[in-house]
Amino acid sequence: MASIEPPIMRSTSPAGTGTATAAGTVELSVVRKCYGDFVAVDDLSISIQPGRIYGLLGPNGAGKTSTLRMIIGIIVPDSGQVSVFGEPLRRAHMDQFGYLPEERGLYKKMKVLEHLVLLAQLKGLSGAEAHKRAQSWCERFELTAWTGKKVEELSKGMQQKVQFIGAILHDPKLIIMDEPFSGLDPASAVSLKDVLLELAKSGKTILLSTHRMDQAEKLCHSICLVNHGRAVLEGDLNQIKARYGMCNVQIKYDGDARFLQETRLVQSFNDYGNHVEVRLAPGADTQELLKLASAGARLSKFEVMEPSLEEIFIDAVSKPAVSKPAAGKPNA
Amino acid sequence: MRNMWLIIRREYLERVRTRSFLILTLLLPGIMTVVMLLPGKLINMGGKVQHLVVVTSTPQFGETVRQRLLSPVGDTGDDDEANEDTSAAKPNPEPEYIIDLDANPTEVERAVLRDKVTSQAIDGYLWLSDDAIASGKVTWTSRNMISFGERSRLSASLNRIIQYERLAKNGVTAAQADGLLKPVKIEAVRMERGREAKGSGGGKFLEVAVMVMLLYMAVLLYGISVMRSVLEEKNSRIMEVLLSSASSTELMTGKLLGVGAVGLTQILVWAVMGIVFALPAMAMQPSFSDLQIPPGVLVAFAVFFLLGYLLYSTMYAAIGAITTTEQEGQQLQFFIIIPLVLSVFMLAPVVRNPDAPAMVWVSMVPFFAPVVMYARIVVQTPPVWQIVLCLLLLIGTIAGIMVLCARIYRIGVLIYGKRPNLPEILKWLKYAKA
Repeated sequence: MASIEPPIMRSTSPAGTGTATAAGTVELSVVRKCYGDFVAVDDLSISIQPGRIYGLLGPNGAGKTSTLRMIIGIIVPDSGQVSVFGEPLRRAHMDQFGYLPEERGLYKKMKVLEHLVLLAQLKGLSGAEAHKRAQSWCERFELTAWTGKKVEELSKGMQQKVQFIGAILHDPKLIIMDEPFSGLDPASAVSLKDVLLELAKSGKTILLSTHRMDQAEKLCHSICLVNHGRAVLEGDLNQIKARYGMCNVQIKYDGDARFLQETRLVQSFNDYGNHVEVRLAPGADTQELLKLASAGARLSKFEVMEPSLEEIFIDAVSKPAVSKPAAGKPNA
Repeated sequence: MRNMWLIIRREYLERVRTRSFLILTLLLPGIMTVVMLLPGKLINMGGKVQHLVVVTSTPQFGETVRQRLLSPVGDTGDDDEANEDTSAAKPNPEPEYIIDLDANPTEVERAVLRDKVTSQAIDGYLWLSDDAIASGKVTWTSRNMISFGERSRLSASLNRIIQYERLAKNGVTAAQADGLLKPVKIEAVRMERGREAKGSGGGKFLEVAVMVMLLYMAVLLYGISVMRSVLEEKNSRIMEVLLSSASSTELMTGKLLGVGAVGLTQILVWAVMGIVFALPAMAMQPSFSDLQIPPGVLVAFAVFFLLGYLLYSTMYAAIGAITTTEQEGQQLQFFIIIPLVLSVFMLAPVVRNPDAPAMVWVSMVPFFAPVVMYARIVVQTPPVWQIVLCLLLLIGTIAGIMVLCARIYRIGVLIYGKRPNLPEILKWLKYAKA
């Protein structure tokens, strides 16, 4: 893909190189955004395929929100190219976006239904249509009793649901959500997740940012791990796992523990009392470890584990020098 | 366009529907009426009947003084134009006197009168002994400070009496004296649009003052509410949602026009109320009845008021965009008030000399134009090219500030935290092209 190229085109390259081959719903190529001396987004390139749920992950201050804002067009990148639906970002695209900002914002004095209608009208819906859809979404999120109330009378969680409805009311092709689950109770989080999955099934592209890896792991097809404005890892979640994966083994044993000292196979291990977790040395074969362990000890469990996204993330972030080569694109 | 209309509608309805809008709209005229009428009422309340003693060397002279003091004010003659039409049946708010005469100007008597004043048996006494008159210095003794109006009235009456008295002593009869002392009145006539227009210019000044007051009030009341609503959006973070749907220019203009329309609605309601309630009362007041406003001036009023209002509201919006709290905003508000206050200071020279080159150019400066150019039009219609140039400059400035503000707004609202300094704002202006 074009985005591996060094950032030569950063300066003034017009539409062209970056977008010509772009097939994704959203393509960022070497996008950069600075606030003063602080580099919030550092030559980031990502590609989001249609109909997928894409997770932008990273710790606080990693540049997630800035990235989302650039995709929506609220802020303009200092350099690089943002294109959506195969063309450079234009104002006209905005009506196709549904955006849920991290800092929720609603007019506190407005009534819920009126507010939803206003948001949908701003996206080009007619008043009547907006009204109808708002009603039905409020039913779905059990807000019907509150539609005539002022926003400020609602609990925070309910306000969040209102905001979520506001983001999808106009049936956007691209749904962008900044930390959609923060502040929701578990039940609401589940119904939100269900709606997102449903929308993705119906062909919408969903881009969400979160710092909660477990949620991303359950929901996303593809992810981009961001740290200090740089992509640490990007691509299909399963492929990333596969690439990183199968290097941890959980062993329950009784007897000789000398196999743990075999540095040819074991890079490090963690003793949890009733089991140990072994991290295999690069290139080591699990079968060899199994043989070695069973030779001296009685095994009650030997499980090769998929690493959690959290582990991958911590691993990728803790040794930036090592993971840097992988940063551009997973070459899978 | 549609987005802007939606924003205008929201801003307008949200505000007009509130209870505070209704209360302010209905109550303010009442409060204003009370504030305007109360001081007058209070002064009149002081005007109870005064009991005083006139001390003269001869009873005849005392009687003359009494006659004079009890007769209507206008007869004092050399009072100026304030009493132009006392002949009209004007309610007379002047204090009335009960006057006792005393033809015994001795020090003993003076002591007695002093005691009487102290013991409140009388309100005061006037010492008009021949000696005092000869020395040109008479005394009025009372418990209270004498009011300025009362003093000049007394002094005018006494001067008249004493002049007649002196003339009489020199053999001039009262009838001759009347002819000799007949005062000359100055009638102010201005050339206005080739015609002679009477009136001292007081009415003109009033027209301008009404404009200034309304503009000032509207700017203060609604400019701040524009600023506040920008800040509210920043603090509620709804800007981000809105900016993903509409351009910052649409939001900005929508907000300005929406809030602006609320102010106009309120002023319109007040104007209607004022016309309905105050017109009959005003028609009775002679000083208002010669106030005939030509339609051209009314149009100028509407145009300059709207443009001035828009200009200053836009500046408020900009302040809202670059600050994060209302306190901060109020500090910067200073920069908006200054040109407004300056233009008020320039009113007097402008009304006096509307065609002076300095005034012509001052009236071209957009920040002063709403007041100063309007004042010039009221006093004496300036050449058309000047009005057109002034309007163009004003409209251009408004549009310019609006575009700049929309840019500052767009970025300012997304940046929380410290207030940007000037270089940063300039940088934003450069960046926020989209």
